[in-house]
Amino acid sequence: MSAERALLAVVVVSVAYLAVVNTAYIVLVVVGAFENRLRRHESAAEDYDTIAASRFTIPVSVIAPAFNEEAAIVDSVRSLLAFDYPEFEVIVVNDGSSDRTVGVLADAYALEPYEVFTCSLFPSAEVHGVFRSAVEPRLLVVDKENGGKADGLNAGLNVARSRYVCCVDADTIFEPDALLKAMRLVVEDPARVIGVASFLTVSDDAMRTASEPIGSRRIGWRPLIAFQQLDFMRAFFNNRLAWSRLDFMLCAPGAFQVWRKDVLEEVGGYEPGFSCEDIELTYRVHERMRREKRDYKIICLPDNIATTEGPDTVRKLVSQRERWQRVIVETVVHHRRLLFNPRYGAVGLVGAPFYLLSEVLAPFFEVLALVTIPVAALLGLLEWGVFALVVGTLGFLNASLTAAAILASDVQSRAYRLRDLAWLALLAPLDLVAYRPVMAWARLKGTWRFLRGDKGWHKFERNQRAAHS
Amino acid sequence: MGLHAGQLVPVFVASVLLWLMLALAAIVGRAGYDKRRRSRPTTPPRRGSRAERRLLRQAARAGRSEAGRWRQIRALRALARMNHPACRTLLPEALADGDVEVAGAAVRSLGNVGASWAVEELVSALRRGVYYRSRVAAQLERLAPAPGPLLVPLLDDDDPGVRFWAATLLAPYPTLATPALVARTADVDANVRAAAVETLAGRSGRRPLAAAIRLLEDPKWFVRVHAARAVGRLGAPADVARVVPLLGDERWWVRSAAKDALRTLGLGAVDVLRQTLDADDAFARNGAAEVLQDVGYVDSLIASRRDRALLEQIFAAGGERLRRLALMRAADAAGVGEREVA
Repeated sequence: MSAERALLAVVVVSVAYLAVVNTAYIVLVVVGAFENRLRRHESAAEDYDTIAASRFTIPVSVIAPAFNEEAAIVDSVRSLLAFDYPEFEVIVVNDGSSDRTVGVLADAYALEPYEVFTCSLFPSAEVHGVFRSAVEPRLLVVDKENGGKADGLNAGLNVARSRYVCCVDADTIFEPDALLKAMRLVVEDPARVIGVASFLTVSDDAMRTASEPIGSRRIGWRPLIAFQQLDFMRAFFNNRLAWSRLDFMLCAPGAFQVWRKDVLEEVGGYEPGFSCEDIELTYRVHERMRREKRDYKIICLPDNIATTEGPDTVRKLVSQRERWQRVIVETVVHHRRLLFNPRYGAVGLVGAPFYLLSEVLAPFFEVLALVTIPVAALLGLLEWGVFALVVGTLGFLNASLTAAAILASDVQSRAYRLRDLAWLALLAPLDLVAYRPVMAWARLKGTWRFLRGDKGWHKFERNQRAAHS
Repeated sequence: MGLHAGQLVPVFVASVLLWLMLALAAIVGRAGYDKRRRSRPTTPPRRGSRAERRLLRQAARAGRSEAGRWRQIRALRALARMNHPACRTLLPEALADGDVEVAGAAVRSLGNVGASWAVEELVSALRRGVYYRSRVAAQLERLAPAPGPLLVPLLDDDDPGVRFWAATLLAPYPTLATPALVARTADVDANVRAAAVETLAGRSGRRPLAAAIRLLEDPKWFVRVHAARAVGRLGAPADVARVVPLLGDERWWVRSAAKDALRTLGLGAVDVLRQTLDADDAFARNGAAEVLQDVGYVDSLIASRRDRALLEQIFAAGGERLRRLALMRAADAAGVGEREVA
């Protein structure tokens, strides 16, 4: 009898956890909707042509670290060089690739090696040389020893000549106006805006998606990619926009993040000791700025600025997400002094605790719920009708949050075809039973590997373009 | 658990309805958008039409609600695109609005209108700082040459921010206000000095060059950066030689600007830099070697197989990696192995 009581108590606790987290998400959806509306209006009233032509638009160094990106690198660099932006340079950092990443770039852009004496403010592994292009003066390629993505970014920062840097993933395809949209608010207020992130979509073939015109883009019928797309929409439109509005934007995604370079100098650049660099840097910048009581903004914009390649098998997806979970736990644990600390304002009192609750603790409660609710029903402690209604209610509540994200995303970008939006909306109720268990497993695995002290980066094998090559 | 299915049914139904409502809002909203886009008129409203009257009403109404504010902004932008005569009164009013978004829309709209009164309003906005000055400046820049004469008096404004933008915005007017800009190179505000020397880099004559050379020793590093670049653009090789000491400057950005200036000389930099290859300062030595590499002198020495001693001196100043990469380039060019070139 006491075991049954204990089981019931666990069921109640896990359902209560889900209720609390989902209530918080509902609040964030409302705040995010306001932020989305404001940014949409601002963007509609903006004079992008003048910004794109003005010499007062702040120059940017775009840094793309690449490791074994032979299949994708030329397309990526082409999309970076196609930015509609008045003054920028593209710095590709070859992080000791064992394939022909530098070779294909050398063939495409007539690269020649030069010695460039840089300001080595950021620690990085040994640089073998810097390649300049005979045909594209805006392109630099840094060839260095392997040291991981953070190390590669630091090497790029040492070469960067602009006041702002845009750190990107070399496997992501960017919209031509990505930099312009991201820098719009920086141009207005460079003294305060120190970091910018924006919305990315996911596809199994980023090149194909990016080449489709706005309004006619396809999500694709493969549920795995569609579920990831829903996941990205929720993360950006339901969470990050609200975090941005509430001044605790805690995760600028590694695929596209703009930073003011002097801020990165102050915090010492990217930290190679973590499994992934993006969240940790965002935390560290907040920590520094809040501690020194400085007036600053790290903003997330709703503009769709790039398409990144999503894993096309469950195995690859689990591998990617367990790494993401690992870095979240590493970061929250490392920066635990922020938690509930009034000295860090909204970041310490709301942002970091919310991250702890919704990301670090989530896999435990999700797995508890996934296991105990069916077991309670099997043991007759819960009526089957109650079981079905609890699962159904949670499923449709989750689907409602997802539908809100689909709505917000479409109002913002109008990128996808109507039938694809309908497909996403129909998939939303299945998310809880088809996608979340996989995520819960990946997150649990990531947490376990954190506890074991594993810091390896198991990069997932490329999908379409790897197959093309 | 004391919980019965009947108690949960309303909650379940509510969650289904919520999902349905939001999903339909997304789908129906998108279908409506597509329909509106197809049927939306592409021409601006006719004068005297109801649509025009509505725009005028919206633009004149100070939108105190959030929706009203954005309606006002949209209307102002639409009227500016039509170059509507009412802009003459509406845009200055909007510029004086305390709302930064409305003022911003007025600035952008004034840039679209581009008439002389709009230029005057923008110059006044720049002086008064009613909106981000960089954004006002971007509009004034696109309207060149009209704003030029109006900018000159701003060089003597009390506000250093105004003097900075005046000096910066005078760049596209090579015959305007050169003596006043030279005078601004002695401004008490370092940003103004930097802007003045940057603008003077696009002028000709001895006075701008003399001012730039003087600022090579400015106490502020970013002024030295602009001065070095200006000397690179304005000077003859003998003048550019004065930049060489900045190769050993304490600030990386100044060293970098000095290298940029010296690169503009091309192979003309060789004589200037030879003496620096054995300087005491390591930054100066490797900076000199880097510039000699960048202007193609190292490659030409390797290809011609002459002056081996000088080549070794450059390699000694630039370090092992400079040597290795130079040999790689030479090997690639000759289609032979690195060892053979060495």
